[in-house]
Amino acid sequence: MKLSLLIFCLYFCLACNSDEDTYVPISEDKALDFPQPDFFPQPVYDLDENPPTEKGFELGKKLFYDGRLSSTGVISCGFCHIQEFSFTHHTHEVSHGVNGALGTRNAQPLVNLAYFNEFSWDGAAPHLDAFSIIPITTDVEMNETVTNVLNKLESDEEYIDLFSIAFENGKVNTQNMFRALSQFMVMMVSADTKYDKVLEGNAVFTEAEAAGKALFDSKCSGCHEGILFTDQSYRNNGLPIDPRYNDIGRKRVTGLETDKYKFKVPSLRNIAVSLPYMHDGRFKTLKEVLDFYDSGVQLTENLDSVFQQSNSIGISLSETEKEQLIAFLNTLTDDNFLLDRRFSEF
Amino acid sequence: MKKIITLIGFALLMSSCSNDGDTKNITISFENKIAGDRINLGTGNYQNTSNESYSIDELKYIISNIQLVKENGEVFTYPQDNSYFLINESEPESQIIVLNNVPAQDFQTLKFGIGIDQTNYPLNGVDNFVPTAEENQMLWSWSAGYIFFKIEGDFSIENESHQDNFLFHIGSHGTNLDNYKTVELSATQFDLDLTRKDLIAIETDISKLFNAVHDIRINDKSDIQVDPVNAPKIAENASQMFSLKPTHSTN
Repeated sequence: MKLSLLIFCLYFCLACNSDEDTYVPISEDKALDFPQPDFFPQPVYDLDENPPTEKGFELGKKLFYDGRLSSTGVISCGFCHIQEFSFTHHTHEVSHGVNGALGTRNAQPLVNLAYFNEFSWDGAAPHLDAFSIIPITTDVEMNETVTNVLNKLESDEEYIDLFSIAFENGKVNTQNMFRALSQFMVMMVSADTKYDKVLEGNAVFTEAEAAGKALFDSKCSGCHEGILFTDQSYRNNGLPIDPRYNDIGRKRVTGLETDKYKFKVPSLRNIAVSLPYMHDGRFKTLKEVLDFYDSGVQLTENLDSVFQQSNSIGISLSETEKEQLIAFLNTLTDDNFLLDRRFSEF
Repeated sequence: MKKIITLIGFALLMSSCSNDGDTKNITISFENKIAGDRINLGTGNYQNTSNESYSIDELKYIISNIQLVKENGEVFTYPQDNSYFLINESEPESQIIVLNNVPAQDFQTLKFGIGIDQTNYPLNGVDNFVPTAEENQMLWSWSAGYIFFKIEGDFSIENESHQDNFLFHIGSHGTNLDNYKTVELSATQFDLDLTRKDLIAIETDISKLFNAVHDIRINDKSDIQVDPVNAPKIAENASQMFSLKPTHSTN
């Protein structure tokens, strides 16, 4: 009698508490340690909200390199974000999308994204989990709908399995897809350059590098600030307006005239390999970039005040200074990151 | 004896699982009107207070974060990740939304948002609204953000027959400007008494879009998208369009 009551109670509890989801043992997935470098700030990305796990990372990586995220089935995220070049579209001025379509902006490197507060050249995405909507749906990039992508994933057993293990609710849905991509991307921490080794006392700059560092600190670090080499602000650096794009920059996001021609100050980590440079990839070499800052800056609307501090606009640099700066910028390359098997497609 | 216990058990089980004692599924309906009549997409011709005449081809908005508040201040928040709805004038079924397991109690105030709450974006399941928004062209793909309110149509200024297009697409401008607005509707009589009824009827007076708080003359700017001056005015006007329509008790 007592037993039947007990069984009844048990049954009662079970019936009301368990959803239709099947029980998945937690042991199938393991948390990943976020590789926080000692001298970096705390991540902006909320790792408690979306903690990277083995399976979440694996799912994110699979999505990142899957052409089915595009309408033609061949353009993956990794198509324009190639690891060896700090996840940029090497030598391509602007990104290339489906059927050879051309974008209007240069694919940005994917490095230390956990530390960034807004994404894209104009800050169009306020959160990493929201960023992927842009390339997936833009007609000159992957030209697909999120709905179609989800349909494709839902008909693939491998994906269904990965989603079910990687996420508590196990669902193939938009949030889990974007969270998996974020888990893959936030793990891309790059902090193992010669610059970092010098900082840790494990390496020494050459004379040219040291001179370049001093120049950098006095002439560049106002915008390319701190350990991330960017203050994450939006500024107009005086590039001549390219009439092919007439890109208004951050004004597209805010509608403000005062944001016209402003773009996100990029990080300079791995800058030597992430050519070409600027939001439209117009410069192929660092020398061209420095020549531009020395003598090419134009007084366009909203030109940043840092370029208007002397009689002439721009940042005056001698040829020797340019060589020294380039020597310093070359110390920001992290070969271990660029070759890290965890992130590579094959 | 065992049989009786099992039977009672089953009865208890059924009742406790199906309506948890005092919750019910309720319906909220949205009727988009002008001057007391349902609007007619494409064919209806309307006047605003700036003496412009206009017609509407498309009208869509996002309703979110639904809450019900009792007289004593107690708040029922509908589960956030299921609390995003797209009202599309061209799809009658979208104008009736169903909320499950709402406490069958007497509420005093209905609260909801127009658009997507910025502090929540893209967390707490807001991302899962992307496919719906996308199918209804309520995403700015280049800005990774939702369009909260969209109206498109034709207009002509006073005493002129020449017509031009107008379109207002209102959403937040990155993190720079939050155009998310909240609406609070207070019950008169039994409008929100869910012990008596399971339908909440909302009327939306679209004409208020042009004059509720700010006067909007379409001809001043007929294409308002990411416009830091005009978009907030339209968002504010839109937040004033809603009212509770008295409905009959269902029991």
